[in-house]
Amino acid sequence: MIRVGVDVGGTFTDIVLERTRAAGEDQQIVVHKVPSTPQDQSEGVVKGVVEICQMAGIAPGEIDMVFHGTTVATNMVIERKGAEVGMITTRGFRDILHMARHKRPHNFSLQFDVPWQSKPLVKRRNRLPVTERIMPPDGRVEVPLDTDEVKAAAELFAKRGLDAVIVAFLFAFLNDEHEQKAKAIVAAAMPDAYVCCSSEIVNVIREYERFSTCAMNAYIGPMTARYMRQLEGRLRQAGVRAVVRIMQSNGGISTVENAIERPVGLLLSGPAGGVIGGRWTGEHAGTQNVITIDIGGTSADISVIQGGELRIKNPRDTEVANLPVLVPMIDIDAIGAGGGSIAYLDPGGAFRVGPRSAGADPGPACYGKGGEEPTVTDAQVVLGRLDPEQFLGGDLAIDPSLSERAIATHIAGPMGLSVTQAALGILRIINNNMALAINNNSVAKGIDPRNFSLMGFGGAGPLHGTALAELISARDVISPLQPGITAAMGLLVTDLQYEYTHSVLLVLNKAGEAEFAALNAAMDELRAQAEAQLEADGIAPGARRFRKVAECRYLGQGFELRAEMPEGPLNKENVEEVIRSFFDAHQQVYGHAFEDQLTEAVTLRLIATAEVDMLRLPDLAKGGRTDPEDAVLYVRDTVFDDGEARPTPRYRRDRLLAGDRVTGPALIVQHNSTTLLPPGYAAEVLGHGDMRVARQG
Amino acid sequence: MTREVDPITLQVIGGALHAIAEQMGNVLYRMSYSSIIRESQDLGAGLFDRDFNTLCESDSTPMHIGSLPGYLRGIARTIPIDGWQPGDCVIHNHPYAGASHSPDIAIVMPVFFEGELIGFSANTAHHVDIGAATPGLIIDVPDMYAEGMLMDGLKLYEAGKRNEALWKFIFDNTRVPSLVKGDLEAQIASAELGVRRFQELLAAYGKDRVIQATRQLMDYTEGMLRREIAKIPDGDYTAEGFLDDDGRNRGKHLPIKVTVKVRGDGVEVDLTGSSDQVPTAFNVPFEGSTNVACFFAFRALLLDTYTHEEHIPQNEGSFRPVKVTAPLGSIYNPIAPVAAEARFCQIQRVVDLIIKALAPVIPEKATAGNAATLSFAAFSGVRPSGDYWVFLEVNEAAMGGRPTSDGPDTVEELMRNTRNNPLEDLGMHLPLICDRYEVRDDVAPGAGKFRGGAGVVKAQRYLTPGFMTHESDRHDDAPWGVFGGKDGAVGKLEIYNVAPAGRDRQRAREVFGPADGTRRRGRLFLALGRRLWRPARARPGEGAGRCARRLHHRAARARRLWRGVRCGGRRLWLAGERRGDGSSSRRAARPLRHAGSALGACARRCI
Repeated sequence: MIRVGVDVGGTFTDIVLERTRAAGEDQQIVVHKVPSTPQDQSEGVVKGVVEICQMAGIAPGEIDMVFHGTTVATNMVIERKGAEVGMITTRGFRDILHMARHKRPHNFSLQFDVPWQSKPLVKRRNRLPVTERIMPPDGRVEVPLDTDEVKAAAELFAKRGLDAVIVAFLFAFLNDEHEQKAKAIVAAAMPDAYVCCSSEIVNVIREYERFSTCAMNAYIGPMTARYMRQLEGRLRQAGVRAVVRIMQSNGGISTVENAIERPVGLLLSGPAGGVIGGRWTGEHAGTQNVITIDIGGTSADISVIQGGELRIKNPRDTEVANLPVLVPMIDIDAIGAGGGSIAYLDPGGAFRVGPRSAGADPGPACYGKGGEEPTVTDAQVVLGRLDPEQFLGGDLAIDPSLSERAIATHIAGPMGLSVTQAALGILRIINNNMALAINNNSVAKGIDPRNFSLMGFGGAGPLHGTALAELISARDVISPLQPGITAAMGLLVTDLQYEYTHSVLLVLNKAGEAEFAALNAAMDELRAQAEAQLEADGIAPGARRFRKVAECRYLGQGFELRAEMPEGPLNKENVEEVIRSFFDAHQQVYGHAFEDQLTEAVTLRLIATAEVDMLRLPDLAKGGRTDPEDAVLYVRDTVFDDGEARPTPRYRRDRLLAGDRVTGPALIVQHNSTTLLPPGYAAEVLGHGDMRVARQG
Repeated sequence: MTREVDPITLQVIGGALHAIAEQMGNVLYRMSYSSIIRESQDLGAGLFDRDFNTLCESDSTPMHIGSLPGYLRGIARTIPIDGWQPGDCVIHNHPYAGASHSPDIAIVMPVFFEGELIGFSANTAHHVDIGAATPGLIIDVPDMYAEGMLMDGLKLYEAGKRNEALWKFIFDNTRVPSLVKGDLEAQIASAELGVRRFQELLAAYGKDRVIQATRQLMDYTEGMLRREIAKIPDGDYTAEGFLDDDGRNRGKHLPIKVTVKVRGDGVEVDLTGSSDQVPTAFNVPFEGSTNVACFFAFRALLLDTYTHEEHIPQNEGSFRPVKVTAPLGSIYNPIAPVAAEARFCQIQRVVDLIIKALAPVIPEKATAGNAATLSFAAFSGVRPSGDYWVFLEVNEAAMGGRPTSDGPDTVEELMRNTRNNPLEDLGMHLPLICDRYEVRDDVAPGAGKFRGGAGVVKAQRYLTPGFMTHESDRHDDAPWGVFGGKDGAVGKLEIYNVAPAGRDRQRAREVFGPADGTRRRGRLFLALGRRLWRPARARPGEGAGRCARRLHHRAARARRLWRGVRCGGRRLWLAGERRGDGSSSRRAARPLRHAGSALGACARRCI
């Protein structure tokens, strides 16, 4: 079996190839990086796959499966380069997408932009109301759908040459009859268009969020489909006949067909791989509680894995580019802090680092590509934490004197500090910003970091790991085997996963036989959809796993939390379990639970998964040494957070063996990353080459 | 004198304070029950020092930001600084003791560290009903005692012990006890979180260092604002406008006059010349509301978070450069016991007039006239069980044209920034159904190089008998265009009473659809607002101002016609909050062209 994971980032496309040989022979793992090709990501993907085959000594045709994490859909939204979409909606409610939730994005501003108005997913001229009315609370039809109006709208859209059409009616979550009927009419009138309706993309209450999610799906639909087809075509041309699977925002993988039908599920396809890779590395390191931080050039992605489970964002908080997207997403917070973050003094004299970034071009001052302002990377260089000859394994030439000059001119001089002090200040501020963001994603959500390991990855992650762990009081730090390529590895350790939802709005404490029967029937329907999908994917019935969730709130609240449902049908006896599970979630998230209040279920969710093969790393040879001298490259001064420069040995990571111990101060270097070990810390090399770093004694 | 905190630690502590305030706000709105808090986020939360200076505040609704120090000073009249104990929790809403207005209830907890009172963790939130004369909102009432429960520095918890009698009193005196209970619990959870996190911060960095850092952070914010004020040429800048009336003496306009006195790096807003206080609830608590509006205006104008790259900490420093003067006994500084609950329209206009006054000297930062009002509707009724339902709806409006962009459409402007309620959520839980919610299309936004924003139309229909109270303004004074831009349009409110039979329903449907923005037929039974509109058609291309005048005459006629008619309290159609807005402007030979915006709709009680 040969499997390939491909993760496309802003600068590089990372590829991992795993080959499990027959007859119990050694397996083979190859990693590779090629420059990304933003105009058509599939170009870089295919180039990388072909090259890694050469490196591994196999023919492209031998690959069995390709797993792909892509930012194609996300970029389309951020750059607003999606399809021209038409919308058919309920008469009287033409502008729901334009008005949104009427809250402006800035409190203290008069000149602010309103992205959903200035850059709409569907222009007003393409939003056409038709006569129809479905009434709450039972979904009865008060005014039948005027099919002639739908037909006329579809013909107009066809004449305008639109690529995609959505059908979004008020209260469709109670009754999708009108939406389905209208969709069929549009599909008949516009056979080549991408058509979807709100209740099938996300069948939940709240019109703006549902309509917007549906609009987003159509906006990215046609071009995502084109990309997927192109990728498949290019791979075939290159001789790759493998099955292709796509990473989704919820941390599961899905088929190409599903990705084309519901591209809205791909908006976090990029960063999700890193989090999954973090979970997997955590398991190797013997911990199920991991806080991951993926530090890149301009931003850092933070996520929390608790008890081996990914944290899924509250469905009320899932948005992309200021637009709500009600699909399950891993709870990933991105903050504007990375190696390229610029340090400067603002007009009031405050010392700032980020979110402005030097990016890859011009990049940090030390790149010598015209960047004048000091960045976080420049601070690392000045403090001797990044050696010029180790920078990307020496592939990129950098000039430390430029870093020094930038810090001296812009920070140290004006503030009357030494360059070293200023550089330490830059790191302290950026680390603090990251730590606050981690707290927001952990402490603020009832998670105690003292029981968690911090895992920093991305090229710069292991440089910040110990400082961040200190700030948030994490238990220890994990430096993964390949920090720069963790996301691609994550692709090879992901389950197949689908989610289905249905709105219910039922007060659980008061529900009677009939209500339970309706709820169970709805759940059965979701289950049938899931079974059909897994069947289509060729998953054996025994390998299918289902998890049932009721998203609940106290009657009258506006935000739901996830409660676990019992295995069998819900009834008067076991409904207490759901309520109890909701109380626990409320207690954890808010620190309070109102036991005397009624619990209302709002949305049923079925999560269907199937395990696929997992990447297995080979065991490292046993070393068991302490500070092994043959791994030392050289010794050089490095400044640590106390401001003191100490002679600090550089170890080659590829020469460390399982069970080896390295005591700080030390730097452990590898091709695309450096792990910093301050005095008082020690790193232990684990069985597969990951390292656990902890305070000694 | 404590040693200066180094700039790096300062950033660290500043970041932590900001995060604490945000988390306090988050917990409050996510845990709360009433839609006005959980959906609309009509709340504020933060930390304060012993001298009641704001150290940090959540970025929620501007109206609340800057009001809490007033509450704290009001509480101090009842509870002296040495009267606090760990575990205390105080509730306060007295409009003449610092409250923003009585429905905005504050919860305050002291922060002790090593046995010493360091400061306070506090929040405010708008409660749905505090037992006033009418459900939800009030306008035409005799005095502040009709506002409902007034709580002046009372301890809900004393040294951790719950004051059961007070809790019972509160639940017995609101129409919606379960909402008030859930919301108060959410407020307490938020304040507790603030206490805990503040104590952790003090433990991590040391008391003296943290306190010194907060002083420096306040100085920093103050300095940033003063730097901007200093760029405005010294002088007195005046703008005037008027409000429709006080809700009782119909048609009697209330003048507003704003003079902005810029002196060096400080500024004074003088409201002398504005109307005397009025006999209804249409007055503005000075400390908790008039002040706050002026603080907001300068922060939004001069430290615009969209055009400024840096995050500027939200603290006392942003209030210091701004002095506010309003004569005692005026609408902006009333004397007890006159009621002062319905104050939002007036303070919106203060902000808008400050912008208007300064537009000539800071054209690149100003806007044309904004809607600068509020359409605040309280829908309510009694369920068959005998329990009340009360729902507060904030209807958005629009902004005036801007130096480089059109005014945003259908958006919360100036002092408010709430979220609307999903219509589907309302439909599932209340005997109320929305029949139309769209961009207003019966009048064009004010024209200009950059047009004003378009307003909104909303039609709500009662499915069972109900009450309605509506607080609004701006049916007479259209938002202005600037630099030659055209004026916007005024707003309107229409109320229809529809008999229950099927035939009438059908008729009503004829009246309401198709949704082309005009209403040509239909019986108007009664508008217990101040206007009864016969729907008028705005002709394409007709200037907003002209259309408004035509409407005005019809309204006067209708008012005579329907005076004294009472509604039967059957099915009631509130048809259309139609607020216009936007206007625009244009002026040759001037680099900047803005637009104005507008809207309106008035308000009151009806059954």
